[in-house]
Amino acid sequence: MSGAHTKFDLQNRGLLEKMFEPPAVGKMAPVAKIVVYSFLAIWSLFVLFPIYWVIITSFKDAAAVNQGPSYFPFVDFQPTLDAWRINFTADPYCDMAAIARQLYLLAHNSVAFVLSPVVTIPPMEPQICKIYLAFTNSVVISIISTIFCVAVGSMAAYALARIQYRPKFGNIMIFVLLIVGVILATTYAGVPWWMSSAVALALFFFLARALGRHFKMSLGNGDILFWMISQRILPPIVVVVPLYVMFQAVRLLDTHLALILLYAVANLPIVVWLMHDFFANLPIELEESAQLDGATRFGIFWEIVMPLTRPGLAATTLLILVLNWNEYLFAVFLSTVKVQTMPIMVAAKNTGEKGVLWWEMCAVTVVMIIPVIIMAVLLTRFISKGVLLGAVKG
Amino acid sequence: MTDGNTKASVKFDAVQKSFGSVKVLEEFNLEVDPGEFLVLLGASGSGKTTALRILSGLETPSAGRVHIGERDVTEVLPKYRDISMVFQSYALYPHKTVAENIGFPLKVKKLPKAEMDAAILDAAKQVQLEALLDRYPRELSGGQRQRVALARAIIRRPSVFLMDEPLSNLDAKLRGHMRAELKHMQGTLGITTIYVTHDQIEAMTLAHRVAVLEKGVLQQLASPSEIYNNPANLFVAQFIGSPAMNVIHGSLEGASFQTNGAKVKTRVKGQIAKAVAGVRPEDCSVTDPKKGTISGQIYTTELIGDHTLVTVNWGNDQIVVKAHKDFDGKQGDAVGVVLPPENLYIFDETSGERIR
Repeated sequence: MSGAHTKFDLQNRGLLEKMFEPPAVGKMAPVAKIVVYSFLAIWSLFVLFPIYWVIITSFKDAAAVNQGPSYFPFVDFQPTLDAWRINFTADPYCDMAAIARQLYLLAHNSVAFVLSPVVTIPPMEPQICKIYLAFTNSVVISIISTIFCVAVGSMAAYALARIQYRPKFGNIMIFVLLIVGVILATTYAGVPWWMSSAVALALFFFLARALGRHFKMSLGNGDILFWMISQRILPPIVVVVPLYVMFQAVRLLDTHLALILLYAVANLPIVVWLMHDFFANLPIELEESAQLDGATRFGIFWEIVMPLTRPGLAATTLLILVLNWNEYLFAVFLSTVKVQTMPIMVAAKNTGEKGVLWWEMCAVTVVMIIPVIIMAVLLTRFISKGVLLGAVKG
Repeated sequence: MTDGNTKASVKFDAVQKSFGSVKVLEEFNLEVDPGEFLVLLGASGSGKTTALRILSGLETPSAGRVHIGERDVTEVLPKYRDISMVFQSYALYPHKTVAENIGFPLKVKKLPKAEMDAAILDAAKQVQLEALLDRYPRELSGGQRQRVALARAIIRRPSVFLMDEPLSNLDAKLRGHMRAELKHMQGTLGITTIYVTHDQIEAMTLAHRVAVLEKGVLQQLASPSEIYNNPANLFVAQFIGSPAMNVIHGSLEGASFQTNGAKVKTRVKGQIAKAVAGVRPEDCSVTDPKKGTISGQIYTTELIGDHTLVTVNWGNDQIVVKAHKDFDGKQGDAVGVVLPPENLYIFDETSGERIR
């Protein structure tokens, strides 16, 4: 008798029941399917339309844009290559040779910069048109800062995932106070900065050793992680002016080094946060076993940990690369001529006297989108699943 | 292969370990002879794995010293201890082939390629893996993965082998098979082996000596037969044996154990208000209700194959008796149980100590 009312006749269901019941576990009911797929279709249109719009607009001229919206080339407007010609052929030095020359210049000038304390090598002057310069800058800056950021960040994340740090709260306070002391001594008492820093450093080691034992409160890895991510809580606009002053003080304004360093530092918290999670989820026995077998910490990191976190590393790299590629705020403040990046070129098409040159802006934007798509396709190959299969358990 | 095959002794000298306020090991003393197969036996949380990890160097003791051979290794990094370890989870490198997994300890030592390949083949042959060297761990069965882990451990010929429940992820049949292979391999190589398990059958079958641990304290260290026939205390008596030893609560008065209105003669004498009598199921026998030392009703019977387990209700206690496979008593039948005095173990209930 029990459960008679739950008896279910599979064959003689009403149409309504068939529409709302999933046909099997792990499948969707017909109605749900219709709802979900129509939503996805509308969403795709919503997402893809701007890209389509950018592409067709780059083939319009001023007249076609100002006449109001037109959607189909050859149907309601006549496509032209004007916008592309103005951007990419009008200026002198707009050719591949210029890009090669620029890359050589960057290598040459950085060697000159590194060797400048020893020998003076005169830096080369760029011979390249604006858009090609911006493109080269964007590529060089985002790739180098991404590599730097991911390398440093993942090592930090690994250390935080596997080594227990217990910094004493009191020691941190001493450190902060000494830094304040250094700043005061340097600015108001006229002590040379290297002298005050050396004294402060010596004092710190002395005080930390002498008093460190007496401090009870200490922080853990969780606090360090939070401290790192908290640096992303501030909106970047808040720190932009102090950053400008800092880079001005060290005479690095309008240099590649400034943007590379800044991008790397700004994105470091994201890398540490993301990679920490991947490392923490690796079975620790793998590393312990390698340790017993005699591998060094770096050996374990490169031979065991890195290959196993490759999907996470690829995803993180892609994210940071896109963030760097699209970065506008820091670039606009810290660059004037030599290190302008692609986002600045896009924004520059919003001119004062001639209004927004939509067709030219769109041509630049298209060029800016393409590398990101290529990177995404290349890197998703690494984001494969099941790398950990067979590591542990039977 | 590279190191001289030196059997090393192992010594824990008053080792303590606590995690925060939790004491995992208290004053742990243990000496393992060179070439011995020692099993650390205990329930989960008994501190057996912690002891092993302290020996491996993956954990540092809160106090006490650890010696391998003549060397005090308490502060020595794991990689300089000349030990190898098989983990419960095998810990194979999933992105490396079987050959690369087995050869990893030698690769770290930067051995020449030819020498390494020979050693890998040799180690793989010992565990019958030579046909699978190019596979990845994900393409292997549980038992094969276990063999890879073993091969990786033996390729280096360490002075001490550590095994942390290496068989617990295998199914019952394979476990029995691997147990025999492990014992044979240890016998052939003669490397000092410390083996952690919660499975008393593994402990009994594999060990030269068994160390029973509970709550971070070493309860008894003796040969398997000694542990079985002569348990030092109530915990060891109950932990070893399947089915477990019967436990009857009562009091010891003179040379008799009194409980449930019955008197049972004992070999030992004493006056203990709260005492426990233990008797192994195979030492008891079922008989006519009037002839037995005690009498009760059958609670249930289980035919195991070569014998029948009969559970008898007696007052508030239950007694399991190993009877002949043809035993045909029914549930509720009145039966007598013979408790032979010479096989009755008496323990002090409060301290758990055996009264001898």
